[in-house]
Amino acid sequence: MKRKRTDFILHLISEVAHFVLDADPSRMVISLHQEEDGLHLAIFDDRPRKPEELESIRKSLEHQERPELAGYYGSMAGYDSLGSARLNLVGWQIKAATVSDTGSGTQIDLWLGGERFDPEQFTLGNKNT
Amino acid sequence: MLEREEKRLYGLMYILLAGFFLAGLLVQSPASVSAGLVKIQIHPARLLNDFTLVGGEGAALVNAAIVAALGLALTRISKVRLSGPTVSAVFTIFGFGLFGKTIFNVIPIVIGVVISARIAGKSFREYILMALFGTTLGPLITTLGFETGLPFLPAMAVAVAGGIAAGILLPSVAMIMLRMHQGFSLYNIGLTGGFIALFGAAILTASGAAPGSSLVWNSAPSGLLVYLVPVLSAVLIIAGLLGGAKKTVKDFLNILSLPGRLPSDFMSSTSIQGSLINMGVIGFLTWGYVILVGGDVNGPVLGGIFTAIGFAAFGKHPKNSWPVVVGVIAACLLFGKDLSAPGPLLAALFCLTLAPIAGEFGWIAGIVAGFLHLTMVERTGAWHLGVNLYNNGFAGGLTATLMVAVIEWYRSSREVIPK
Repeated sequence: MKRKRTDFILHLISEVAHFVLDADPSRMVISLHQEEDGLHLAIFDDRPRKPEELESIRKSLEHQERPELAGYYGSMAGYDSLGSARLNLVGWQIKAATVSDTGSGTQIDLWLGGERFDPEQFTLGNKNT
Repeated sequence: MLEREEKRLYGLMYILLAGFFLAGLLVQSPASVSAGLVKIQIHPARLLNDFTLVGGEGAALVNAAIVAALGLALTRISKVRLSGPTVSAVFTIFGFGLFGKTIFNVIPIVIGVVISARIAGKSFREYILMALFGTTLGPLITTLGFETGLPFLPAMAVAVAGGIAAGILLPSVAMIMLRMHQGFSLYNIGLTGGFIALFGAAILTASGAAPGSSLVWNSAPSGLLVYLVPVLSAVLIIAGLLGGAKKTVKDFLNILSLPGRLPSDFMSSTSIQGSLINMGVIGFLTWGYVILVGGDVNGPVLGGIFTAIGFAAFGKHPKNSWPVVVGVIAACLLFGKDLSAPGPLLAALFCLTLAPIAGEFGWIAGIVAGFLHLTMVERTGAWHLGVNLYNNGFAGGLTATLMVAVIEWYRSSREVIPK
């Protein structure tokens, strides 16, 4: 089971990193915080984006109840080596995502977990910390 | 709760399937349709058996409408969104219900996929597309049930068990195949089914039960079959335009700019109305091609056109499709093949599985893909004894894998970071 979880996380990181690298940043930071029933993945880069670009990323990552796509085509996430990255492959498999302008670049936060999972429990990404 | 637009789409699908069903009953008497339906269930379903000749055009339409309705019902029961992927699946099932899929031979595959989902600890909703498209292996069940020479009951047991086993294998193989061509072949289950069918064919051959090839081709289709597609295409375009002509046309033009690589749900990413226009346009274009080359608009050809129409909601559009067709035509002309002969005609329709190659890498790559596809598809059917209905999906998947491998090798072998 641990192997399965590790593989899953690796593929999500790979797809999002693919997306970030497509924009040719000079800096990319990936941060992972795991809990038993969920995890938080944060990816930062130093590439400022226009509001419409951020909106497009948000739309791609917007959580949609598409089990038929997540269970089949979602398995392609992180495997692509040709063409552009596809954040919707990630969007079908996560619980929530936030995309923000850090002033010097972009921050993408992905939240994954089961029904009991509460992102507020995390210190990273928690507005109070 | 279904969204309003999805409800309307369901309504359109119900009307279309009911229309096909009633059309079948109009051209043949109910008694004749019943007899034809029974004949279709027990007749070899391998490539290429045109049900419009086996049981009559009416029985074939009724069979196709029933199997497609089963697919639609499965989508509704599973509470999966009716959108590009599921619409394409229902249209594809209808098309192949005219030459291979039967009420009898699709159910064991679905049961197998249900079992596979349970084994993997997933919900069936996550595997539903593999179950719907996986009915490509229906002829395997019919072959085991009616062509092995076994007594009736043992033959039925072997057929059902074989179908369930194939269904169990489908999801695991489908995901690996998807990674091979990276979504550049739309009919991924065609590649998957072909791969599994290679083993099925090998077992049949080893046991001495391999059936010979067959070709049942309706060369004198009635006006009903000939004019079914333009009527359907007009209905789809009108249904699309009802959502507001200006916005719908704009959405259709937006679709033309998409590469179409799997999974490209045009209905979700653009709009249902724009996708319906695209479906209608693809319907007219593919039908026009068949008429232009003097092809027969029979069961298999309608199967090709319906599949193209369905996938116009899920990856293909005129702009990424034409180069692949040109490639097939070029190969036919070079090798002296008749464009209206069954093989080249079906290849020109089903080659659209490779549309994303043209969409992503340009029209030259698309033409090369179409050219290679024609040469491959003429060979692959024999490899699996015709038990994989999506033979063009099999050949297309192999072609896409070759092209992806070469392009990836070329790109990755060049020095990218200065030493």
